[in-house]
Amino acid sequence: MSQPIVDQGQQMAVASPSVGSAWDAQRLRRVLVAAGRDLLPPLVALSLAAAVWEAWVRLRDVPDYLVPAPSAIAARLAEDPAFFARQGGITLYGALAGFGLGAAIAIALAVLMAHSRFLERSLFPLAIMVKVTPIIAIAPLLAIWFGFGLMPKLFITALIVFFPVMVNAVVGFRSVNPWALELLHSLAASPWEVFLKLRLPSSLPYLFAAFKVSIPLSVIGAVVAEWFSGQDGLGRVIQVSNSNLDMPTAFGAIVSLAVMGIGLYLITSLLERRLLSWHESTINP
Amino acid sequence: MTNDRPAHVAVESLTKTFGNSERSLTALDGVNLEIGWGEFVSIIGPSGCGKTTLLRLIGGLLEPTAGVVQVAGREPRAAQRGKEIGYVFQDASLLPWRSVLDNVRLPLEVNRRNGGSRRNNQPEQLLELVRLEEFENYYPRELSGGMQQRVALARALVFEPSLLLMDEPFGALDEITRESMRYELLRIWQASLGEGEAGRKTVVFVTHSITEAILLSDRVVVLSSAPGTVRAVVEIALPRPRSEGVETSRVFLDYTAQLRSLLKEPSPV
Repeated sequence: MSQPIVDQGQQMAVASPSVGSAWDAQRLRRVLVAAGRDLLPPLVALSLAAAVWEAWVRLRDVPDYLVPAPSAIAARLAEDPAFFARQGGITLYGALAGFGLGAAIAIALAVLMAHSRFLERSLFPLAIMVKVTPIIAIAPLLAIWFGFGLMPKLFITALIVFFPVMVNAVVGFRSVNPWALELLHSLAASPWEVFLKLRLPSSLPYLFAAFKVSIPLSVIGAVVAEWFSGQDGLGRVIQVSNSNLDMPTAFGAIVSLAVMGIGLYLITSLLERRLLSWHESTINP
Repeated sequence: MTNDRPAHVAVESLTKTFGNSERSLTALDGVNLEIGWGEFVSIIGPSGCGKTTLLRLIGGLLEPTAGVVQVAGREPRAAQRGKEIGYVFQDASLLPWRSVLDNVRLPLEVNRRNGGSRRNNQPEQLLELVRLEEFENYYPRELSGGMQQRVALARALVFEPSLLLMDEPFGALDEITRESMRYELLRIWQASLGEGEAGRKTVVFVTHSITEAILLSDRVVVLSSAPGTVRAVVEIALPRPRSEGVETSRVFLDYTAQLRSLLKEPSPV
């Protein structure tokens, strides 16, 4: 443990109210410095990449229908932001709904599997089979099975999210401090109480690791579904604009997807930091 | 007196075997032991002698292979459900996502069906008892090992159990902390004796430290190893309350020598 050990008699100094405003200013300064430190390097790298791209397209005179310049993509996005927002919203809705469904089923099954080796042995191979089957291979079938719209999207996204969440949840529910488990047994706690008080909180670090992997995957799932059986959404936008050789629109959709993925990942990370303030991974990042 | 009451802990020809028919290990073999109300009894023995197993059997965490364990005339499991047993382990086993105060509260949050009507201690008062009242909002990782173990002790006392089972609770602490924890425990137990029938606590304390056993106990039970049997029960007739310095007294050293030779005795093969 690299945490400072506090001893009796030498308690930590607590900031008194009289220095509150000075402390606030200091805090603001720290946040700004941290933001600069964390945001500046990736922004510089991104701008450099965009500049090289822009220069290459202009100098080589690459036509728009092959590769649009960043400025053309930006112009397309600025021209009709409502369109991208609406289509993005549809994709986001499908991705989140599928993520919720997949994660819920995964966690429910993981609860059963964590409590019974027999169930784990029966269900795990099945889950692996689902995992190793390329989603792309069954995607065209989904339009036949489920038609168009939300259903195939839910199905594919849930399928993609399911496996990483389930694997991590099973490990998480089992990774409990054996002494704490013994303690709860000595208190005559019911299995449900053991789950609620010990297994679920213990599994949160594992669950969040899975969420951070599967949230971006859920966007991919939604796009794949829209590609094959969608009426709208960014996946459909890309497909249609591809066949029309309307590359600025296709790239506008791609940029929107990237922003969406980054946003979802950041929200998950923030939530993780809030809920897991007690855990080593957030104490020593 | 309470002579008509059953002994607080009664262990009769208790045997515990681990393993299956091919490979089995007899941890305890025919152990008999009676512990009275309000008594402080230590169980000492070489490592692997089944001290912890004996404690777990008394606490209802294990089922005996043969023989009987009774706590206040009942099955250990029943006593456990009735919240009559407080347990302290070698590991403080605090939940890292709960503050000190919430860790102490934990026992009140589980198995509530059987604890509704009883008089519980105030978690805040218990933190005062173990001298951690200033730390109720701290998290376990911010505390030293000794402080964590004091939280574990407060947690074990929160529903006022009459029986306290302690499994090498100071085993993982450094020598200096250990020493002060012993007196802390003595102080708390001594105070409980003054509270009359209801607050009085019986303690069963597993240790491998001879000094610890003598300092704390009314009686020391010496177990032999593999399989564990009761080799001797030594009455410690040191006056109470015991205070610092008692370890250097003549009588204390005599007890030390006696226990040391009892522990050295080769097991009868």
